[in-house]
Amino acid sequence: MPKPAPGGGASAEDQTLDAILRQHAEVQYAEELDVLLKNDTHPRPPNWVLSPWAVKRYLLGGKLANGFEIAPKYIGNERLIEIAVATLATDRALLLYGLPGTAKSWTSEHLAAAITGDSTLLIQGTAGTDESAIRYGWNYARLLVDGPSPAALVVSPMMRAMQDGKLARIEELTRIPAEVQDTLITILSEKTLPVPELGLETQARKGFNVIATANNRDKGVNELSSALMRRFNTVILPLPATIDEEIDIVDRRVASLGQALALPAEKPALEEIRRVVTIFRELRDGMTVDGKTKLKSPTGTLSTAEAISVMNSGLAMAGYYGDGVLRASDLAAGLTGAIVKDPVQDRVVWLEYLQTVVKDREGWKDLYRACHEVL
Amino acid sequence: MSVHICGIRHHGPGSARALSAALAALQPDCLLIEGPPDAQAIAPLMMEATMQPPVALLIYLPDAPHRAVYYPFTDFSPEWQALRYGFSREIPTRFFDLPQSIQFACAPAETAQQTAAMPATPVHPSPDPFALLAEAAGFPDHEAWWELQIEQRQDTTEVFTAVHEAMQALRAGAPPPQGNEALREASMRQHIRAAMSENFQTIAVVCGAWHTPALQLEDAATPSAKADAALLKGLPRVTVTATWIPWTNSRLALRSGYGAGITSPGWYAHLWQAPDRVTIRWMARVAQVLRAEGLDASAANVIEAVRLAEALAALRGLPMPGLTEMHEATQTVLCRGEETPMRLIRTRIEIGEALGAVPPATPAVPLLRDLTAQQRRLRLEMTAEIKTLDLDQRKVIDLTRSYLLHRLRILQIEWGKPYQAAKSAQGTFHEIWQLQWQVEFAVAIIEANVWGNTVEAAATAYARHLASTTRTLPQLTALLHQVMLAALPTALDDVLAQVQDQAAVAADVRHLMLALPPLTEAARYTDVRQTKSALLLPVISALFERVLIGLLPACQSLDDDAAATMTESIAAVQTSLLRLEDPQFTAAWQGILARVIDDEGIHGLVRGVCCRLLLEAGILTSVELERHARHALSSATPATQAAAWIEGVLRGNGEVVLAQDGLWQALDTWVCDLSADHFVGALPLLRRAFAQFDASVRQRMGTKVKHLSTAGTAPPLPGTASDHVPIDVARADLTLPILARLLGVSQ
Repeated sequence: MPKPAPGGGASAEDQTLDAILRQHAEVQYAEELDVLLKNDTHPRPPNWVLSPWAVKRYLLGGKLANGFEIAPKYIGNERLIEIAVATLATDRALLLYGLPGTAKSWTSEHLAAAITGDSTLLIQGTAGTDESAIRYGWNYARLLVDGPSPAALVVSPMMRAMQDGKLARIEELTRIPAEVQDTLITILSEKTLPVPELGLETQARKGFNVIATANNRDKGVNELSSALMRRFNTVILPLPATIDEEIDIVDRRVASLGQALALPAEKPALEEIRRVVTIFRELRDGMTVDGKTKLKSPTGTLSTAEAISVMNSGLAMAGYYGDGVLRASDLAAGLTGAIVKDPVQDRVVWLEYLQTVVKDREGWKDLYRACHEVL
Repeated sequence: MSVHICGIRHHGPGSARALSAALAALQPDCLLIEGPPDAQAIAPLMMEATMQPPVALLIYLPDAPHRAVYYPFTDFSPEWQALRYGFSREIPTRFFDLPQSIQFACAPAETAQQTAAMPATPVHPSPDPFALLAEAAGFPDHEAWWELQIEQRQDTTEVFTAVHEAMQALRAGAPPPQGNEALREASMRQHIRAAMSENFQTIAVVCGAWHTPALQLEDAATPSAKADAALLKGLPRVTVTATWIPWTNSRLALRSGYGAGITSPGWYAHLWQAPDRVTIRWMARVAQVLRAEGLDASAANVIEAVRLAEALAALRGLPMPGLTEMHEATQTVLCRGEETPMRLIRTRIEIGEALGAVPPATPAVPLLRDLTAQQRRLRLEMTAEIKTLDLDQRKVIDLTRSYLLHRLRILQIEWGKPYQAAKSAQGTFHEIWQLQWQVEFAVAIIEANVWGNTVEAAATAYARHLASTTRTLPQLTALLHQVMLAALPTALDDVLAQVQDQAAVAADVRHLMLALPPLTEAARYTDVRQTKSALLLPVISALFERVLIGLLPACQSLDDDAAATMTESIAAVQTSLLRLEDPQFTAAWQGILARVIDDEGIHGLVRGVCCRLLLEAGILTSVELERHARHALSSATPATQAAAWIEGVLRGNGEVVLAQDGLWQALDTWVCDLSADHFVGALPLLRRAFAQFDASVRQRMGTKVKHLSTAGTAPPLPGTASDHVPIDVARADLTLPILARLLGVSQ
């Protein structure tokens, strides 16, 4: 059953802040959005709450002229955010593409919150998503009692966004079956949604647009047709740019997850995190950090999220089977498992890496031996 | 009488447009252009129909051609437009910079360090004035600022006044010019004064924007004629030669000649050529390139790309999209966010490959002079007659000749063709060449001059270029070998680095294996040619380690053809190892081969060849060979695989296998047990396997098999050793004293 229209109802205000596990962006950053709105002097596209300049500032953070500090939502290349905002301003649909864990959904939520003040018009893409999630469904009880009428119609987030001139968000677009994806083609080009049963149609109001996110590693799940792809401007969100940025992310997440899981091990030394992140980055980039040696890349993603899970499994090993201190031998199995996804190709890649890089690296002997043992 | 100073940026299309408009309005009767007066005599050649930009004025020292400066020009260079204006109206058109003959003489130390790869540059003022202005205007990048302010401007009136004022403000805060720059500006002023004294009515001066304030003669702060004359008096001079050479767009992108290189000549050319709707025309061209490569680029997407570029420009507060916005819009809309097709856009459009041409009347290029000088010194004749040359590399002159010929070969000037070294009876010291000079070489030399002014410099630069563009490993190692033969140490580093990089990412182990022989060949030559083998060994060992890791997986599931090529690759590694004579490598290699022959999943031919190699190395004993033969030739193995195995084992010298009784027994049993169908199927393979032996060996093999059938009772064949023959030690001992005397060892 569809939930009551979010954003508009009184229910959201009744809920106390503490009871909610996670607030919507526009609620959590209400103050920032408010200050930006008051100080926004730039022209706005029709139905936008903030101007493109203010949206960019909201996402990238920084100090306003009056000294108010905006927290950065997206840390990374400023130009990508500019392209995303400019895309939405030209009423082209935006596709945020990238590896898992590159803040695609996060960026999409904050863009919607800043541009329309409402990030809740969300379609969660799964293999089971059907047309009614994108177009409209029927309240069958009503339908049986009254026959087809607008009251029996269950409006999808997409339809609501069209009616209100807001942004609809589609998560994991590539997981939606291809025939359901096709319904988007006409919505994006004609900007209308006909309801033939009632002889009605919804014409999108100005300000309507779509932000979709998709994962470019799981290609082939339901690859976008070129007709659909053509209707999107694609922005690829990259992995963390520098090793320090990535180490920082891993460190924070490992610490917070370790607490949540109550692992009986000490927080890992930053040096261990640096080693794991270095290995991941080097294999992912196909080059050593010093840029001197090129390497083969394995088939897996080796995302930051996987580095976090390697650290966590290492901590669990150290805590339950070791002496409570994270050592190379606790990491070796996890590392090998994360890297060797294809038993033939990846094994060659990992062996080559061990032989040509790890073996001769200062202070990495323990890791080399440990990894060789599990191979 | 009036003097008009037009401050331009070199290679700026906006400046060129503004300048053309200004000249048309001024109608000057004398033009002074920033450029080397040394090239005054050859400047009018630019009006020839066969002169096609991009070209460069090249000024060099005739006795040391590696010391040179380049002044590149392209269609949208303001200087080029000014020259064209001057020569077409036949008004006096002069270069008025400080002559390079003086600049060379004044700064020998500085220019001597410049190599041809990084041509000497007239000094650009530092700090960059435009960077200061851009910073003041809040731009992170001064290119972007200048492009926005000057180059993209369609309305060009008053530009020169504005540029002049900006430069005046900048230079007011800067220290007065020193050294070379002071001399250059003094020389420019003296030229203006000379032109004024000749009673020209309207003098137009075209120079880099930075110099404009210093050329205001009426300004009180400007040094007087007397001071300038004193400054320029008695400066040393050297003889220089000037000529035109063809240039390329990608080399315009380098910092060369005028000091300020431009990163995207294609974009500037577009700004220069597009009459209107710059953004739309650009995107249409991008779409054409993408379509030509078979990538989707619909008209609808071109529209969207233009809209996005314009929206980005608006978001960034620009009046029209610049190259950055174009680039980002193209990537986002037309290339679906992907990086790879953008490289195509970068080389095809943003840089835009173009090679200029110069008229035949152009004076000889320095590369030809250098070649002629070397050819005389080394007493090599340039004739169309075919001559054979035997070079003994122990002699200095022959070694130098060899270097020269190899370097020319790298530049694709095949004056000499090497004979296979194997054909020379005299060993590795000798190199046999066939020499023939061809007329086309003259053109090839002019073209090659782009890379450098001496044969060595040009070959180095070209080899480095090749190294950065070649992607397959065997080609790279072949290039490495060439570079070593040509003794180009600088290029060698680049090629080595590239080989290492490509080896690391090579997906095909066979490429790694085939890359080894040229490397080991080069390593073997190092002693003769006094180059360092120390450089090569790490590369060889890195390649070899990867071969060891990758060989087993690479041998899996090969079809007949793939197996045949794999055996060639294995042979390549084997030859390389024989050359290297490194016991550790050899042991590791034999270890891997031993695993190959045990692996049932590997094609029979490959396993047979590996068995053979191990047998020859003495690793595989007769007993083990027999075991392998029984497995490979058992009825459980498909007949074709078994036949392929036999073919592999028999490959090479017949004598080695003749002694292996176990092998023959297994073969005999297998053939006898084959069903009629299978026998017919295996027959062609077996025939092929035995066809390589000559009749006498085949005869002995036949005899051997015949005796095998009378199991054990037959006497051993003469000439073949058998494990079962009892030796009469007492009688054998009798021969020892004689043998010792023959061999010259004491007992």
